[in-house]
Amino acid sequence: MSTQGAGQAAAILAGLGGVGNIDEIEPCTTRLRSLVKEPSRVDAAALRAAGAFGVMVSGRVVQVVIGPSVDTLASDLEDLM
Amino acid sequence: MHAKQSPAVPARGAHKYQAVRSYLVGLVEAGLRVGDAIPSERALCERFGVSRMTVRQAVDALVGEGVLVREQGRGTFVAPRRMDFEMRLTTFGEEMRRRGMRPETRVLGMGTVAASAEAADALGTEPGAALHHLRRVRYADGSPMSIEQHWVAVDLVPGLLAAGPPPSMHDALRAVGLDPSWGEETLTAAEATDEEAALLGLRGTRAVLRATRRTFSADTPAMYSNACYRGDRYSVWVPLSAPAPALVPRVREPDDRPARARDDEREAVGALEDGRTG
Repeated sequence: MSTQGAGQAAAILAGLGGVGNIDEIEPCTTRLRSLVKEPSRVDAAALRAAGAFGVMVSGRVVQVVIGPSVDTLASDLEDLM
Repeated sequence: MHAKQSPAVPARGAHKYQAVRSYLVGLVEAGLRVGDAIPSERALCERFGVSRMTVRQAVDALVGEGVLVREQGRGTFVAPRRMDFEMRLTTFGEEMRRRGMRPETRVLGMGTVAASAEAADALGTEPGAALHHLRRVRYADGSPMSIEQHWVAVDLVPGLLAAGPPPSMHDALRAVGLDPSWGEETLTAAEATDEEAALLGLRGTRAVLRATRRTFSADTPAMYSNACYRGDRYSVWVPLSAPAPALVPRVREPDDRPARARDDEREAVGALEDGRTG
């Protein structure tokens, strides 16, 4: 089972390299589409462990598959950013 | 001046081609019915005062788009209408019945296979893990529409295929408490293989749409699927809405400052982040 609530948001943010590594995060229907400063600071295994169902990295764009709970995750992320 | 005049010749050719094309599209939309023949090449040449090559170009384009279908030695006819599918987590059978059409299935193969790297990644299993596999052709009112394959982890639903191929994969998953609740699908344009073209009865065009899908039941990746839809009968429509506003960190770095200053600030932001989340 995936981590839920604010704990999951913190874990996802850490997996993306922390707030300092984020330019922006766009919540889509089932994914978080993030633009990061430094892709090497993204930890795909940590994102998986935080409940992501997939991580796709293309340049500075990191897509994290979350599912329909992406809405609530996005509000939790907003509180941490 | 020469540079301005030279495009006029191809433009006039394009105009004639467009006229033939619009005329044919108009016939299909207003006059002709599915299966009716279009006017002969000679009749179209005479009507528009154009070469046979121009007429062929217009007809070929509409054959390629699936509006017309050419039957060897018989002529060119109005093709069956395309079907619009909204991207939803439904099955082929459910979509067909909703349209008042009769879905049918021909099972091509069924068994247990070792998970490929791709399937393992999609289903969250180890590569090589045992997966149920089902491959079948789906028909709408007797016409082949798509070739589907499904993979489900044996560990997850041991008895999935015990009673033969399930008529509905979604129903089979629901029966064991794995109600499909969300998914992701990726669509790719492609050319049919010889086998696919034969199974789908493709003539003329070999364009197909490949769909790769992961079906989840809440937090469980339940099924990995791919489908090969015939490009001449199948359209996808996707409801669009404006994207939600992006989340942006509250502390932003001005981009016009030297790299060194930005690095210093990044460390400060990092410290702030630790304080907030830790």
